[in-house]
Amino acid sequence: MSNLNSTSKNAVGRKTSGLDKLLRVALYTVLIVVAAFYLMPFIVMLITSLKDVEEIRTGTLLSLPASLHFDSWSKAWSSACTGSSCGGISPYFMNSFQIVLPAVAISTLVGAINGYVISLWKFRGSDFFFAAMLVGCFIPFQVILLPMAQTLGWLGIANTTSGLVFVHVVYGVAFTTLFFRNFYQSIPGELVKAARLDGAGFFTIFYRIILPVSTPIIVVTVIWQFTQIWNDFLFGVAFSGFDTQPVTVALNNLVNTSFGGKEYNVDMAAAIIAALPTLAVYVFAGKYFVRGLTAGAVKG
Amino acid sequence: MANLVIDNVKKRYGETEILKGINISIKAGEFLILVGPSGCGKSTLMNSIAGLEDVTEGRILIADKDVTYTSPKDRDIAMVFQSYALYPNMTVEQNISFGLEMRKVPKEERDVEVQRVAELLQISHLLDRKPAQLSGGQRQRVAMGRALARRPQLYLFDEPLSNLDAKLRVEMRTEIKKLHKKLGTTIVYVTHDQIEAMTLADRIAVMKDGQVQQLGTPQEIYDNPANLFVAGFMGSPAMNFIPTKVVEQGGVPMLELATSTTVALPFPKPESLKDYVGKTILLGLRPEMITEPQPHKEGQPFVTTTDVEVEVTEPMGADTMILTRVNDAEINCRSNPMYPADAGSIIKMMFDTSKAVAFDKESGRRLDL
Repeated sequence: MSNLNSTSKNAVGRKTSGLDKLLRVALYTVLIVVAAFYLMPFIVMLITSLKDVEEIRTGTLLSLPASLHFDSWSKAWSSACTGSSCGGISPYFMNSFQIVLPAVAISTLVGAINGYVISLWKFRGSDFFFAAMLVGCFIPFQVILLPMAQTLGWLGIANTTSGLVFVHVVYGVAFTTLFFRNFYQSIPGELVKAARLDGAGFFTIFYRIILPVSTPIIVVTVIWQFTQIWNDFLFGVAFSGFDTQPVTVALNNLVNTSFGGKEYNVDMAAAIIAALPTLAVYVFAGKYFVRGLTAGAVKG
Repeated sequence: MANLVIDNVKKRYGETEILKGINISIKAGEFLILVGPSGCGKSTLMNSIAGLEDVTEGRILIADKDVTYTSPKDRDIAMVFQSYALYPNMTVEQNISFGLEMRKVPKEERDVEVQRVAELLQISHLLDRKPAQLSGGQRQRVAMGRALARRPQLYLFDEPLSNLDAKLRVEMRTEIKKLHKKLGTTIVYVTHDQIEAMTLADRIAVMKDGQVQQLGTPQEIYDNPANLFVAGFMGSPAMNFIPTKVVEQGGVPMLELATSTTVALPFPKPESLKDYVGKTILLGLRPEMITEPQPHKEGQPFVTTTDVEVEVTEPMGADTMILTRVNDAEINCRSNPMYPADAGSIIKMMFDTSKAVAFDKESGRRLDL
C-alpha cells in the first residue's frame, strides 16, 4: 500500500528530473548491449554468408562484405554436397516439413485430448496417470534410442518418415499433455457439467466448447513442438534413412563435407535456411499468441 | 414439472461417507432448499440428483421414475451453477439454444423458444453478446434462461446468487421467487445463505455432516428447530444460547437467570425439564424475544422483566441490537431504537419465553419436543 502511494506521488507531483533521464539512458544502454550480444552471432552468420570465400580467408569476421554475393545461398539450397549426394539441402528441407507437420498436428491433438480428460473427466487414477506421463518430460533423448530402434523395427517403420513422426509424437505427447492439462485446470468443471446436462457428449463438448477457448495454449504448444521437432538432430540422425533425413542432419553433413577449402559462406547460408522456419513460426505465431491470450475470455 | 423422491441415498468416497442416508421427498411444483455449512454434502446431493455423480446406495426418483442409473442428459433436468458456466465462445442466443440443439430441436422452434425465454427474463437486447461482455446480473439471467429454454421437469440451482453483490442478490432473489410462482416449476436450490433459504423455500432441508438435520417449512424450522445446530444456523442475528440452571419453584421447573439480580424464568413445557432439575441446560431464545419493556405484554404468562447491563449497542435503523451478558454468556437483544440504552448503563429488558427452546448442553439434543 505504502509502495503504491509513493509511486503515484512521484508520478503526479514531480517533474522528470536529471536523474530520471540518466537512469532512462542507462536502461536503454543496457537493453541495446544485451540485444546486440544476442544478435551478434546471427549478424556474423548473415554477413559471412554474403561474402565470397576469398574475403572470408582474410579473417575480417565483423567487417561488412566488400560486395554482396548471393551465390552461396543458391549453392546451399540446391547444389552443395552433403556426403555423397550434391543436391543442396532443399530435399532435406522438404523432408523436415514432412516430419514436422504431421508430428506437430498429431502430438498437439493427442495432448489436447489427454489434457481434457485428465482435467475435466477425472477417472480413478487419473492423477497417477498424469504423474506417470510427466515422467516422460524428464527422460533424456539418449535413453530411448535403443528401445525405440527396436520398437520401430518391430513396427516395420524403421528409417522411414512415418517412423520419425511416430518417435516425435511419442516423445512430444508428455509435453503437450502437460501444457493442455495445466491450461484446462483453469476451466471451471461446471462448464462440462452444464454441457452434459444440455445433452452434449464427450467429443461434442471437446469440439464445441473446450477447443474454441483453447487458442492460446494451442499456439504455445505448436510453437514448442515445431521448434523441438524441427531442431531435433539426435532422433533424425539415429532413426532416418538415407533419403528421409531431416534438414538438421543434412546441415551437419554439409558442414562436414568439404573438397579443398572450407566454404564458410555456404555453411552459414545453409544454417540460416535451416533456421528460417522456426524463426517464421515465432514471428508469425507470436502475434496470434498475444492475441489469443487477450481474447481468451475463459474467466467470465 | 415433476415430484422428486430421494430414497436413502448414500455416497462414499473410499472410507469417507459424504451422504449418510438422505431421505427427502418433494411434491411437483415445490421449492426445496438445501442449506448447510460448506462440506455438509449439499452439493454432492445436488450432483447426485443431476446424475453428475453416482450414488453408492439408495434410489432417486423423478416423476415416479427411477433415474438412479440414468445419464444426466436423460433425466430431463436443468441446472444453474454458481459460476453460471456459460459457454464463453458462444453468444447469449447460442448459449440458450445449445441444449435444444443437442436434443435435435429444429432451428425455427429453437428461435421461438429463445425469444420466449429472452422476453421472460428481459434479456432480448443481449442475445448477440458473448458472456464476457455481460455484467454479473446479466450472466445470472442468461444462466437461468438456458435452464428455462428446455422446459425440464426439474430445476436445480447450485448457489446461483453467491457471486452477486448484496443489492443484486436481493433483487434476483425476488425475481426467482416470482418466476417460481409464475411457472410453478419444481426446484431444488442449494445455498449456504440462511436468509435466502428462509425467503425462497416452500420447505427447507438443513444439512450437516451428510445428514438432513431437519426438513420443514421455513417457519417450522425457525420456531421449532430440531437441535442446537439447526437453531444456531437459521436466523440472523443467531439465536441466543444461554447456559441456565434448572431450578424447581413450587414443583415446577424454572430457569435461573442471573444478571445484576437473579430471576427465574418460566418455560412453556416445564415437564420436559423434570429430569434436569439442578443441572445446567442451554436455553435458546431469539433476539426479538428479548426487548424493551412493552406495556401491552406486561402481565402475560412467560414474560419476565429484569435488569441487564448494556455492553454495546448496534443501531440498525429499524431496530437497535443491544449486546448484554446474562449467566456469563453474551446475548443479543432487539429493541426499539427510541429506547434509551447507553453502553455501561443498567436498563430494564423484557424476556418473553413463550417461544423459548431448551437443548442438552453436551449433545445439543432438543429437550422439549
